[in-house]
Amino acid sequence: MPEIVMSHVCKRFGDAVAADDLNLEVMDGEYLCILGPTGAGKTTAMRMICGLTIPDSGTITFDGEDVTQLETAKRGATMLSQQYSLFPHMSVMDNILFGPTIKEWDPEDSRIIANNLLHMVHLEARAKERPTHLSGGQQQRVALARAMASGSRILLLDEPLRALDARLRLELRKDLKSMVKSMGLTAVHVTHDQDEALEMADRIAVIRNGRILQVGTPREVFDSPATPFVANFVGRSNVLTGKVVSREGGTVSVECGGYIIKADDDKHEIGDDVVVAVKIGNTRISKTEGGWFEGRIERILYEGVSITVEMNVEGLGLVSSKLPNRKFDDYSEGDTVAVRWIPSAASVFDVPECGLEEELRVE
Amino acid sequence: MSQIKLEHVMMRFGSVVASRDINVTINSGEYVTVLGPSGCGKTTLIKIISGILHPTEGRVLIDGKDVTDIPIEDRDVGYVFQNIALFPHMNLKDNVGYGPRVRDKSREETDAISEEYLTLVKMLDRSGYLPSELSGGEQQKVAIARALASGSKVIMLDEPLSALDARVRVELRYDIRRLVKKLGITVLHVTHDQEEAMSVSDRIILMRKGTIHEIGTPLEIYRDPKSIFAAYFIGETNLIECTVVKRTKKGNTQVVLRDGSITRIKGIKFDVGDPVVLSVRPEHVYTANDGIRATVREVVFMGTYWRVRTEADSQDLIEYNISTDTDTPAKGDVVYLVFNKKATRLFARPIQGLQEEIVLE
Repeated sequence: MPEIVMSHVCKRFGDAVAADDLNLEVMDGEYLCILGPTGAGKTTAMRMICGLTIPDSGTITFDGEDVTQLETAKRGATMLSQQYSLFPHMSVMDNILFGPTIKEWDPEDSRIIANNLLHMVHLEARAKERPTHLSGGQQQRVALARAMASGSRILLLDEPLRALDARLRLELRKDLKSMVKSMGLTAVHVTHDQDEALEMADRIAVIRNGRILQVGTPREVFDSPATPFVANFVGRSNVLTGKVVSREGGTVSVECGGYIIKADDDKHEIGDDVVVAVKIGNTRISKTEGGWFEGRIERILYEGVSITVEMNVEGLGLVSSKLPNRKFDDYSEGDTVAVRWIPSAASVFDVPECGLEEELRVE
Repeated sequence: MSQIKLEHVMMRFGSVVASRDINVTINSGEYVTVLGPSGCGKTTLIKIISGILHPTEGRVLIDGKDVTDIPIEDRDVGYVFQNIALFPHMNLKDNVGYGPRVRDKSREETDAISEEYLTLVKMLDRSGYLPSELSGGEQQKVAIARALASGSKVIMLDEPLSALDARVRVELRYDIRRLVKKLGITVLHVTHDQEEAMSVSDRIILMRKGTIHEIGTPLEIYRDPKSIFAAYFIGETNLIECTVVKRTKKGNTQVVLRDGSITRIKGIKFDVGDPVVLSVRPEHVYTANDGIRATVREVVFMGTYWRVRTEADSQDLIEYNISTDTDTPAKGDVVYLVFNKKATRLFARPIQGLQEEIVLE
């Protein structure tokens, strides 16, 4: 059952459109990530759910009840903003216990919850300290724990892991979600980090220029992107432009920079100008088998679990392939390799009206 | 030529020791990242090299010349800050030309240098813009052009990407590397992001608690970390406490987990009875008909692979990756796990305990 419903929500700030006919449902107990680049309208969407910003038009309901004009305090949603304002005169523990104390929860239960949350944010050792003695990242973690203990059923998290070191962020991705789930909360989590969204979300809403481009499970958004922007923002893609030259069942052949490439598609006709996107992780290379075209390896980047091979392809420019790290010893810079993919791994789109470069811009 | 050498460098702030006995040589034209958790002393290190901080003890040499007592303005080391620090009232051309101009270059020379560096960062067509008219990533590119335009052959990058969006960060990190390599500049780049460090560096300096914990190429540190902390901090790994039970004639070591299950690792570094920690990265764990028995707790889509999180009968949490085109197990399923024995490493079990050894702050 949907717990939060935003329908036809619009919001402008002067000339800037922060929400352009937003429609979004968040299910009871769901962990939903709103993903998009800076300035996409992510924070505004969240502030409207929380009641800190009132939409120009449209409605927001919680459990079927219209809360569009309801003041924040009466909504039962807690927002963790990027400016985490902790109580400076209280210890870390007392900050976290603030909500439970106000709500008069059982003190014993409250303390157990607070301890679990402190453990989750790796700050057990700091329970008695004042927030002012902590680093920015540590304060953010205390604020996160406090928000979770607030007693609200709806948790709104605006970039909750942003100020943290990369390694700690990886740990918290796992722990934050399982803690939210175990407490039975509904969470909306805003982020610009596609890896974070993929790993944490039950569903992802991709937002740009105040519009929601796609809502789906991480797998849907990754494997079946709705637009070229989504294809390239949620996991990098090779994005090529060309013209459909033939069709065989559900697969089209596209002429592209003098080569013929294949992709599964049922929306385009012969003669159409199209954009083909294929994830770099689904772009295969080989020294022995044939492919759609050949490229010369310019660079091999060792990224740990994966490597990225960048090739220069005459007529197409730079094409990349992401491979498991065990392939590192198989290729060298300067090698010529054939490039291909399975047609079902590629997506075909209309050529965007704004032009491809503008469509793919990430900031 | 611009080699950097630090000898016995120590830095104290009151009672806090931020760096202790740092000895390292950075080769001319090398791209080195300084990686480590918050408060490990990585920023202090590059501030000492640039002359922003004067070390309490030790020497800084650039191309063999002792520069420890040379003030920052005469040291010729560029510095790019985390928070983009362009002059807000100057257009891009004047921002980039600032260094040459204060060094008394003529107007023509200044303009030529400014144009050259704006071209390198592909921003020449915006030379008349003010910083506020650019996105964060674009501003940081201009900040780098400005640092380079002063003619420094050595540049310090202080978390130059951490204020930017994740996607922008990835694009820009490769742009920066391409640019400095083209110019033959020696770079020290401070970051807390292991993936960033791995993908741009010639070598990584891993710091912890004010000291250099480990130095190596990304490949060396990822494949053959010398310590549990390096294995844990750079890339992801499963850490399992176990005990050596046998050294085989074929040169393998057998270890026993807490529940009695046995696994084999290549190499014979430890003696029977030694308490050890096994480290195996998720991409080197496979399922088989027999092996370490574990129960699936969670299956997560990571884009290019599925991550399966399991709990072994030994109560160790073991994660592995499977390709997205294979079937995934369900939560609660029992799986049997084996490790790639060539890619598995053993370390002596730390006296203070495993958790203490990998604590991040």
